[in-house]
Amino acid sequence: MNLRQLLTSVSALLLPALLAGQGLDLSKLGQPPTDSWPTYHGDYTGRRYSPLKQINQSNVKQMTLAWVYRSTPPPGGGAGSVVKATPLVVNGVLYFASPDHCWAIDARTGRELWHYSWETSGGIHIGNRGVGMYKDWIYFETPDNWLVSLDAKNGKERWRLEIADVKQEYFSTPAPIVIKNHVIIGVGGDSLDVPGYLESRDPETGKLQWRWNSTPRKGEPGAETWPNPEAMEHGGGMTWVPGSYDPDLNLIFWPTGNPNPVMSGQGRRGSNLWTASIVALDLDTGKLKWYFQCSPHDTHDWDATETPIMIDGEINGQPRKLLAQSNRNGYFFVLDRTTGQNIVSTPFINLNWSKGVDPKGQPIPDLAKEPKTDGTLVMPASGGAANWPPPSYDPDTGLFYVNSAQSYSIFFLTDTDDKPQGYGGRDQSLLSRSTLKAIDYKTGQVKWMHEYPGRAGGGPGILTTAGKLLFTGDPHGNFVAFDPADGKILWHAQLGANVGNAPITYELDGQQYVVTGGGDSLYAFTLLK
Amino acid sequence: MKDLKRIFGLCVVLFVAVLFHLLAQGQGSGQGAAGGKKAKAGAPQKKNFLISRPVPSPEAVERGQKLFVTQCGFCHGARATGGESGPDLVRSVVALRDEQGELIGPIIRKGSADKKMPPFNMTDAQVKDIASFLRERQQAAINRGAYPLQNLVTGDAKRGEAYFTGAGGCVKCHSVSGDLKGIGTRYTPANLLPRFLYPGPARFGPQPGDKPPAPTMVTVTPSNGQAVSGTLEQLDDFTVALRDGAGYYRSFARTDGLKLDVRDPIAAHEALLSKYTDADMHDLLTYLVTLK
Repeated sequence: MNLRQLLTSVSALLLPALLAGQGLDLSKLGQPPTDSWPTYHGDYTGRRYSPLKQINQSNVKQMTLAWVYRSTPPPGGGAGSVVKATPLVVNGVLYFASPDHCWAIDARTGRELWHYSWETSGGIHIGNRGVGMYKDWIYFETPDNWLVSLDAKNGKERWRLEIADVKQEYFSTPAPIVIKNHVIIGVGGDSLDVPGYLESRDPETGKLQWRWNSTPRKGEPGAETWPNPEAMEHGGGMTWVPGSYDPDLNLIFWPTGNPNPVMSGQGRRGSNLWTASIVALDLDTGKLKWYFQCSPHDTHDWDATETPIMIDGEINGQPRKLLAQSNRNGYFFVLDRTTGQNIVSTPFINLNWSKGVDPKGQPIPDLAKEPKTDGTLVMPASGGAANWPPPSYDPDTGLFYVNSAQSYSIFFLTDTDDKPQGYGGRDQSLLSRSTLKAIDYKTGQVKWMHEYPGRAGGGPGILTTAGKLLFTGDPHGNFVAFDPADGKILWHAQLGANVGNAPITYELDGQQYVVTGGGDSLYAFTLLK
Repeated sequence: MKDLKRIFGLCVVLFVAVLFHLLAQGQGSGQGAAGGKKAKAGAPQKKNFLISRPVPSPEAVERGQKLFVTQCGFCHGARATGGESGPDLVRSVVALRDEQGELIGPIIRKGSADKKMPPFNMTDAQVKDIASFLRERQQAAINRGAYPLQNLVTGDAKRGEAYFTGAGGCVKCHSVSGDLKGIGTRYTPANLLPRFLYPGPARFGPQPGDKPPAPTMVTVTPSNGQAVSGTLEQLDDFTVALRDGAGYYRSFARTDGLKLDVRDPIAAHEALLSKYTDADMHDLLTYLVTLK
């Protein structure tokens, strides 16, 4: 062996070790997640389906606790202390966030590697959906609207950028999504009628690459759906839930929030584009390719910010590139994601606010059910039939799964001014009941459902796996595994607090883990060895 | 009694929330006007979930409001939401970024020739008071949990009575001379409406004499055991728990052979929720309000 051969052999030996020490291998992004969970939805489809099957129907009963990590100190208390983030897992390290806090922990043991704390200047501390990752860099958003980039190795801050003005009542909860050399970041906040937007920023410097406004400016297309420039520049349409991405079309599919003022529509007559919509934007330019408005002229706080899931499916025997969403307003939508053309619009709960759908498949709101000074009784409540917690699509069953709420609320108009401000109304929730539903994407029909006992609405996110398992939480603190084919319960564990995020799974050293949030903690489950 | 505990917990939360609202209104952020009850001097200024910036003192807000109405209201509107010739200042970026007059002060004093705003001669203290008033207006718009409701009693009492005795089926469980006697004086309309639609945790603030709804009753029969009845404490897909007549807590795994009979005393209210028209709801409220 000569020197060169020796060096080559040594390099070959060292190479895997070196690679293992590196940050995110960008080729993993967009691949079905196995030894990692490198982006919010696992991959870019939004379907939250894992090809892992070490844990499966035959052995799920042997699943046991591997570790617990409590995210102390509780970040801000209240709603913000619940883990709502989907963790990322890269090279055996798990990254997650809560309002003002970000952590790296050992994905095998739950041991904390670092904890980054942000000193806040305000903003609503309602939750944080998680972090984004590019090579060695972590990105997360704070309630006071800073995009912070950290070094994944040690949690040291690289840079910070203000992405929205907290004094105008913006606040930020989204998980940044990294696609190619773009960090896609959304914003939130609907207290005081600010306009929404979505930005793409450079992963190294944070420099703005493009910005898409979710309401038009004077003279732009879409302006005809607003009465005047002032209304659309105060028109809302926040971008607070990560969308999905089709590399073949190079389009991102992003859901937008409710219009503003939230519950008083008299100052914004028209359909109010592009609020409460699903939009398709070019990844590299941010230019709008198509839109579908889920709630034209919404007055019930029904953000369309539920994950639009990409399904490569079949309609009438033809293969189609589809996009499916269980909307907060109670409709299940299926679109052609190349064109935005509507294929299915079917209610998945009992709702009473719509007079059917228009020729484009968009629901027609019943004006009688808009908020009134003496109240209107509406199904669903403002919290919706579904909300941001991520649903799942399982290609093995062909079913779309969502924890749905049958809910009722009285909607009051409180601001009758011609130019109302803020919410301009409020709603009083009466009752909500939660049901896990399995929906046939071809028709919107519910194939099976499981009603959770008790008076508790909504529910957390969902994970499906090739092990023929569906993981989610119930409203009573249980983490539950269902059979995705028929809804039979196969396993559960009582966590002592409700699951507040969506579970993930990954395999390390030949051992599969399933990780879920429960209250302020993360719980990892695995098979007994 | 998990439900009762939850209800009690919610009552506590709501009570605290109401206290916060009263405090906030005392500090002048009620939407109606800056004339609410005043917080005690030196009382800690607790923040609510929606308000993350300092709440101005009610005295400064009151002074600012007087100044604003006389000096600025003609163009900007008495509520600062804008008028014929002056822009909205509640949602103005400058006014929102301003803390204590440092941004709006120069505009007030210099005026704006192109916007036809004349200069105003104001002291630093007056500018600060104006800033306090604008902050109060902004926080009133932000603080949706405290928006006052308007008149809810818009129905027809006669039709409401007919619904009560007829289609609603209310008389199956209730009597206007019994359990509902004087209900129109016990609750405000805003409290009464959600309570009759679905009895549950206190809404729009607790009321004196509030009673939790009747508990859910349950009978559990194990496959080879005796039936046990009591009030339901907890029910999920895996366990059922009750408190029996002697006050003992009993919990059971929901195995295949276990029989469960749950009797929800307010199931009829739930069944009506998807049947009411808004007119039924308003008529029924208007009728119940007459039960003095």
